[in-house]
Amino acid sequence: MPGTYLLWVMAPEIASEAQPGQFVMVRTSEGYDPLLRRPLSIHRVARGEREHGALALLFAVVGRGTNWLAQRKEGEAIDLLGPLGHGFKVDPPPRNLLLVAGGVGIAPLVFLAQRGIAEGHQVALLLGASAKAQLYPAHLIPPEVNLLVATEDGSVGRRGMVTHLLADHAPGAEQVFACGPISMYQALADMSRKGMFEGKSVQVSMEVRMGCGRGACYGCALETKSGLRLVCKDGPIFELKDLIW
Amino acid sequence: MKLSVQLAPHNRRGLLLNNPVMTASGTVEYGTEYAQVVDINRLGAIICKGTTLTPRRGNPQPRLAETPSGLLNSVGLQNIGIDALINEKAPIWATWLVPVIVNIAGERVEDYAQLARRLEGVAGVSGIEVNISCPNLARGGMEFGQSPQMAAEVTAAVKANTTLPVIVKLTPNVTDITQIAHAVAEAGADAISLINTVSGMAIDIAKRKPFLGGISGGLSGPAIKPIAVYMVHQVSGAVEVPIIGCGGISCTNDALEFIMAGATAVQVGTANLVSPNAPVEVLEGMERFLEREGVEDIAQLIGAAKAP
Ligand SMILES: Cc1cc2nc3c(=O)[nH]c(=O)nc-3n(C[C@H](O)[C@H](O)[C@H](O)COP(=O)(O)OP(=O)(O)OC[C@H]3O[C@@H](n4cnc5c(N)ncnc54)[C@H](O)[C@@H]3O)c2cc1C
Ligand SMILES: Cc1cc2nc3c(=O)[nH]c(=O)nc-3n(C[C@H](O)[C@H](O)[C@H](O)COP(=O)(O)O)c2cc1C
Ligand code: FES
Repeated sequence: MPGTYLLWVMAPEIASEAQPGQFVMVRTSEGYDPLLRRPLSIHRVARGEREHGALALLFAVVGRGTNWLAQRKEGEAIDLLGPLGHGFKVDPPPRNLLLVAGGVGIAPLVFLAQRGIAEGHQVALLLGASAKAQLYPAHLIPPEVNLLVATEDGSVGRRGMVTHLLADHAPGAEQVFACGPISMYQALADMSRKGMFEGKSVQVSMEVRMGCGRGACYGCALETKSGLRLVCKDGPIFELKDLIW
Repeated sequence: MKLSVQLAPHNRRGLLLNNPVMTASGTVEYGTEYAQVVDINRLGAIICKGTTLTPRRGNPQPRLAETPSGLLNSVGLQNIGIDALINEKAPIWATWLVPVIVNIAGERVEDYAQLARRLEGVAGVSGIEVNISCPNLARGGMEFGQSPQMAAEVTAAVKANTTLPVIVKLTPNVTDITQIAHAVAEAGADAISLINTVSGMAIDIAKRKPFLGGISGGLSGPAIKPIAVYMVHQVSGAVEVPIIGCGGISCTNDALEFIMAGATAVQVGTANLVSPNAPVEVLEGMERFLEREGVEDIAQLIGAAKAP
């Protein structure tokens, strides 16, 4: 994935508490510019040895903050606050979970897949990207995951949007979890209106500009069907049916 | 070493803080979540989110835009309203050692009077900060802080309806801040805090539209510090009441600049969003500074930079 970075950080306190779907606020300068921290999902925690205390971030370089972070060298310290927000809610009896990732939206879903498998769920992952080179490497996905791929240019897997894979896979799943661009959520909302997810929980990770990441500034408020919600504190995971398009 | 400061020397109740470092309104909501991550009892006071008579939903997204070393916000005074504040937040504050000051905002003079009346006798409330400087209200708000007459009228209305110490918070978006400061001091303000955010705007060039949902917003953070320091310098030379300095304070040295310019106390705002512990660190650095410089009482530093 050119332009996308995987960064491992030793952060035992965050790693031991983290739930899939939660995020950290990362400082991306040593001074005051850029001023605000950047929200990044917790991508995975070191498997089987949580006392080890490492967690991974997966991020695309889109601006100054992520560019600064991409320049960090091994051994340097970075400043993280977390874990923040409410993660994905997986219902207890072992079930079929369907994960839908668009581009760098794979970030929180690998952690969810890890945890889901550890808890005895069946996990299928629909992974989409613009082209083969932009696809998250399959060897980093837990082998127990049933992986299905779509690329917009058809260079690997099914040609088209990742959401096109849903017609085949949604019926067999009890819960759906998605992370990707807004256009992907809009496609999901359309499918939902057509009855694709009847009676199922569909949870998505929302992205808005954040100031504090912990409910202090009201910068991230989002109008939902159940009222005004703070994406950082009440989210970032929301039920698709609660969102307004 | 003495760090305590009296912010309302002429008020019967007084407003004695253990130290001069507070959190600025709008950056720690009602302090209740903040208390879970920071040792709030270390601080001089907590100032809560600007509160109106009825709950407000605030402005549409986007509400935040970053600028070089600054933050533009158009949150639009989203708040739970005075009833929920009194019923749900004040009982929690009443169990705290740290004093809580309630920031109030309104669209009419009568709103401020009513807010003050509602807060009278509420356990857990130690003072009122009157926000006549909010740039994110369509009516009222900042307009009150831009006219000496209106500013005085609001101040007098609040004073007439409370025995609590009253701090009036000024906007920098005026031609002569000393005129406004005079007016509110004359009208009975126990203390003056400054500054609220500096009005500003950003354009989304891809959309050819204003970037913020609220069109314009208020600039805060390190970018506005020199403006704030200068205004503290000007106002502290013009009025007798204590001044609370605010605007871009991120570290101890910033806070000391304000104190030496004439502030009796300081508020930390935007820096809290970046580092929740910033106010505590400002305080700890201040303690080290006093120790190192052999200063026994913080009062000796207040206005130290004034021309002899
Ligand atoms: C809860 C949450 C979790 C996230 N997890 C991840 C993750 O795991 N991996 C990842 O790569 N990214 C993630 N993001 C997005 C990430 O926070 C932004 O890409 C990052 O803040 C950009 O910072 P920057 O300084 O590099 O870019 P900036 O210089 O701030 O912006 C670069 C460009 O991106 C646009 N932009 C920036 N932030 C936003 C926004 N929030 N909404 C719309 N446009 C925006 C700007 O307008 C600009 O064009 C997450 C966001 C949220 C809210
Ligand atoms: C997100 C945000 C919300 C704010 N809300 C309020 C408010 O409700 N009432 C108020 O008087 N000031 C409010 N302010 C202004 C701050 O209290 C402070 O005066 C200003 O930001 C300058 O200080 P700073 O640079 O340390 O942030 C807000 C500022 C920010 C950044
Ligand atoms: S980012 Fe500050 S309240 Fe959500």
